[in-house]
Amino acid sequence: MGVLIEPRDAMTQAQGVEAGYAQTARRWPAQPLARRPHSASELSGPQVARRLALVRGDLAGHGDRRAIGQLVRLRVRVLDEDGAPLPGAVVEAWHCNAAGKYIHPNDTHDAPVDPNFYGAARMVAGDSGLVELRTIKPGAYPVPDTGGWWRPPHVHFSVWGRVWLSRLVTQMFFPGEPLNESDPILNAIRDRAARERCIARLVPSKGNELVYEYQLVVRGRKGNPGMP
Amino acid sequence: MTRLIPTAELTLGPFFPPEFAQGLHDLAQGVAEVIEISGRVTELDGNPLDNVVLEIWQADAAGRFDSPEFLGWGRAATDAQGNYRFRTVRPGACAGRAPHVNFLILYSGLMRQLQTVMFFEDADDPVLRAVEKSRRGGLVAKKVDSTSYRFDIRLRGGEETPFFDD
Repeated sequence: MGVLIEPRDAMTQAQGVEAGYAQTARRWPAQPLARRPHSASELSGPQVARRLALVRGDLAGHGDRRAIGQLVRLRVRVLDEDGAPLPGAVVEAWHCNAAGKYIHPNDTHDAPVDPNFYGAARMVAGDSGLVELRTIKPGAYPVPDTGGWWRPPHVHFSVWGRVWLSRLVTQMFFPGEPLNESDPILNAIRDRAARERCIARLVPSKGNELVYEYQLVVRGRKGNPGMP
Repeated sequence: MTRLIPTAELTLGPFFPPEFAQGLHDLAQGVAEVIEISGRVTELDGNPLDNVVLEIWQADAAGRFDSPEFLGWGRAATDAQGNYRFRTVRPGACAGRAPHVNFLILYSGLMRQLQTVMFFEDADDPVLRAVEKSRRGGLVAKKVDSTSYRFDIRLRGGEETPFFDD
């Protein structure tokens, strides 16, 4: 099945240089990006599940190994632009602990490590394109040397779609967080509806977990069968 | 029919789990003829960048993208001096394309992924030709010896690497 990739819509994607995020002006190219024709190289993609092991589908733990924080369950559906689910899609997720501390050695934030929390998981989508991650709600944290920028609670996602040009790396936010309004990363998306699509939806649940639903929509529509 | 708009990409951030990039720079396990592709990633003023995540996608030596023996995908992170390294095979030509390696760059301060392409020599390739002539050299790797190539990536400023929008 051929896959068609249409140009990105600048309004529904983040701009490259964002005034409130100083490093963008040192790293985003100054020259305009070139448009290129698509061939089998861009319109095929790696079956990364052949290489990437699945790790830690549950970050919250149980009993005396329970991580500190509010228990949450993230129900994330991986879809293409036609709304078709992508069973078998590999999804990586990572986030900080409830105090706002990452497991990463470069995180210098003065917040406690939680010995029962390791904030990285790799999952594979089921038949309906669904991945579920049981974890704790991440905390907010200050960004060093920015004079008061605090990142709102968020979860990083990395996902592979059908082809190389479907690769998606993004962040999911939580509803009702006052820091969402001022975050230079979320607000680098100019279209309001596109920003809101980066915020998960809290859904009613009778269990002991707060359940959030979210969609990861990867680039690509079904093209002609004769396409590469 | 439903038309969903692709989710907005947002920056990888500075804390990509180190374990996610470990051991994946080697695409050439069990392969006889191995090449090395290495280089340095820099920002404005040539400042090297630590912990940049690079992913590559390429054909096998016969120009196939769906080889059951060779997964043409790998991932590497730069070290504190900005250096990365892949072990792979030299890709073959395929359907109108010169041998090439697709690069995807993810990093803190890059709001979304950057895409570029490494070629082994100046060639009559439609993607290389999509870049203005004066900048094409930035997509051609420097041959160090018969099995190693150097491909530096300059994100912004100076002899900036050409990047693609798709």
